[in-house]
Amino acid sequence: MKLRATAMAVAGSLMLMSGAALAESGLEAQSGETVFFRGWQYKTDIVQDNVDRYNNEQGGNVDYATVTGDYPAIMEQNLMAGAELDVLYANPSQAGRYFDGGWIMPAEALPNIDAIKADMYPNILDAWSYKGQLLGLSYFVSTRGVMHVNLEKYYELGYSDADFPADWDALYDQLYEMRDKGLDQPFLPHWINEWYGISWGFDFEVMNRGGQVAHPDTHAPLLTTDADGAAYKTLEDWKRIWNDGLVPEEVLTYNESSYIDAYASGRYVFSPQQLYDLETFNREDRSQIAGHASLLPYQGQSWGLLDSAVYLMTSRERSDAQTDDVKRFASWYGYQDQTGNVFVGNRWMQESMLFSGYKSVMESDAAAERMKSALAREQDIAAVLGVYAATPYPKGIWSVVWAEEFNSWLKETLQEFLQDDGDIVETIEAINEEIVDLNKKYGL
Amino acid sequence: MSAAQRTAELSNLRFSLLLALPVLVFLLLVVAYPLGYALWMSLHEISFFGGYKATFVGAENFSDVIDDRKFKKSLWITVRFTLESVALAMVIGLLIALVLNRKMRFAGLVRTIVILPWCISLYGTGVIFSNLAKGQTGIGTAIAYALGFDEAVNVVNRQWVIEVLAVGNAWNMAPLVAFFLLANLKTIPSRLYDLAAIDRMSRLETFLNVTLPPLRFTLFVFTCITTVLSMKLFDFIFVLSGGGPGTASSTLTYRIYKESFKDLDLGYGAAMSFMLLALILGTTLLLYAFWGRREARSI
Repeated sequence: MKLRATAMAVAGSLMLMSGAALAESGLEAQSGETVFFRGWQYKTDIVQDNVDRYNNEQGGNVDYATVTGDYPAIMEQNLMAGAELDVLYANPSQAGRYFDGGWIMPAEALPNIDAIKADMYPNILDAWSYKGQLLGLSYFVSTRGVMHVNLEKYYELGYSDADFPADWDALYDQLYEMRDKGLDQPFLPHWINEWYGISWGFDFEVMNRGGQVAHPDTHAPLLTTDADGAAYKTLEDWKRIWNDGLVPEEVLTYNESSYIDAYASGRYVFSPQQLYDLETFNREDRSQIAGHASLLPYQGQSWGLLDSAVYLMTSRERSDAQTDDVKRFASWYGYQDQTGNVFVGNRWMQESMLFSGYKSVMESDAAAERMKSALAREQDIAAVLGVYAATPYPKGIWSVVWAEEFNSWLKETLQEFLQDDGDIVETIEAINEEIVDLNKKYGL
Repeated sequence: MSAAQRTAELSNLRFSLLLALPVLVFLLLVVAYPLGYALWMSLHEISFFGGYKATFVGAENFSDVIDDRKFKKSLWITVRFTLESVALAMVIGLLIALVLNRKMRFAGLVRTIVILPWCISLYGTGVIFSNLAKGQTGIGTAIAYALGFDEAVNVVNRQWVIEVLAVGNAWNMAPLVAFFLLANLKTIPSRLYDLAAIDRMSRLETFLNVTLPPLRFTLFVFTCITTVLSMKLFDFIFVLSGGGPGTASSTLTYRIYKESFKDLDLGYGAAMSFMLLALILGTTLLLYAFWGRREARSI
């Protein structure tokens, strides 16, 4: 009897403590209204599980669903129409446009914004800030366009790690060597038919070569037409490998999963892919190059660009109580849960090796262990961190209201450039003119 | 019956108008209002940034569309896609109808299978044909590999993408054409075929002189329907090719989508959509003038 009474007292104390912790965290939903959370299709079972945890533990009423198709355009229409949408995924290039449209509430509105900013890496904070305001919370950070290398095929061709190309010029030269050794199509370029496909491929190659598409502050065009310029050399090499048949034509029709599948098939040696997909390519159930998927290290030239996504809060009409619930959920999901753990961020690191904008996630022992287990070789950890640290961010063309319009135009222009055997100088001039027109259109 | 009682009665015209009123109101809401709003947009430049703003620009959007190189290219792609789609749908539909008209075992089951493509959504059709035509997953690659080649066969390329789209579109539409033609075929008296046999007509002569004449009006109607459906098709193209590679399959609907929903140039997109409407109306009127009127007279 005494034992039972003690147990009840302990349980009661625990419940009280737990209740106090919940009250202190201030993350419990209060309004009883539904919070609408929408995102693109990526491991939706995990997202649903996270949302369920919030709903169960914090009394939330969060409705999660995915959006298929042309995500940026669909979300823009939803935001414009004031549709039932409270928290959404977005890339920084979309977030600035949404902000200018008056459709989102910056993360600055969160009560714990100072703690959030203090935990963020400065370069990430800068990338996600627009007109002096942090727009969203960290979903993931990655380098898109990291040069993956299929070590098995690379070694078969007689190369060693010492032969790893240090920059784009050396890479293209090595592709021709490989063709001479009997491998007709050693390269799978980032020319896919996604809205972030060929256009981002151009953006990162120009930046990797030391160029800039537009000025980070004024957004004025910066591409030059001289033969040594980054854009000229990029298009010249693209034209060369396309006309010489070193790349499969059908890459222009690939979506993201086809692109990953194609590289996972083991047919290619090099491909600029997403950094976190090293984990995918090294998984035996997903890839035929498992255990052989590595990356080119940083040797003085960056690879790829800083790809990231944030959780945004909308500013649609709703009650103050519901808006407070939106902030609570966004804070719980995009930063710390009621225990002070960056629960979702850490989970993504463990599930998919998605990097986070928060130091507390990236600098944890668990993150280091996870990276180690996802990579083919111990030394790849240093390579990953080296490439990641040097990754550039295209502020000039992403932190601007016309970012998505330009991106969509550039995608068509570059695909036509390849297929029509376009003129390099004319194409560069057209890109600059388009930027001038867009600046004019939006009064920049 | 007194005069007062007579005036209280509704005339036939008024009664029919009263009955039609709900439909007229409905049409006004779902057709006239969006059409009017689209017309209003086409005469304005609309901006959502820095506050919503609509500036009257008159016919400027229309003149810009006419001068737009991309519009002209999309127009040509639309015409090419429509011609191929309609020709394929009508020929395949007619062939299916002729086959189904023959006596066969399990005729009901065969008809059920034949109508299935029409039941599949255009989104689904897009996914199916995307997988069939692309090199990575396609039937061409499967056959090539089976024959010992190790090259992927991709037909979603610049050269063939319109044909792939046309085949997929025809695959989806042809069953409907076939079933209407089949209904027509069932009305042809069998004695006409007996007479044709007595006259020692060849198969082709029998087809041209006995089978085809009663089908001609249905063929005209379905040529118009498939033309309109092909010209305004969007979702199938969006899923299969996304308007690409490059702009190789950017039909007018795809171009309108891009202008309106990606670039948010709603006025320009609306002006372009009126051009598409003019194209659809012009084509169907031409079809009627050169073909339909003659068929209607012969009924």
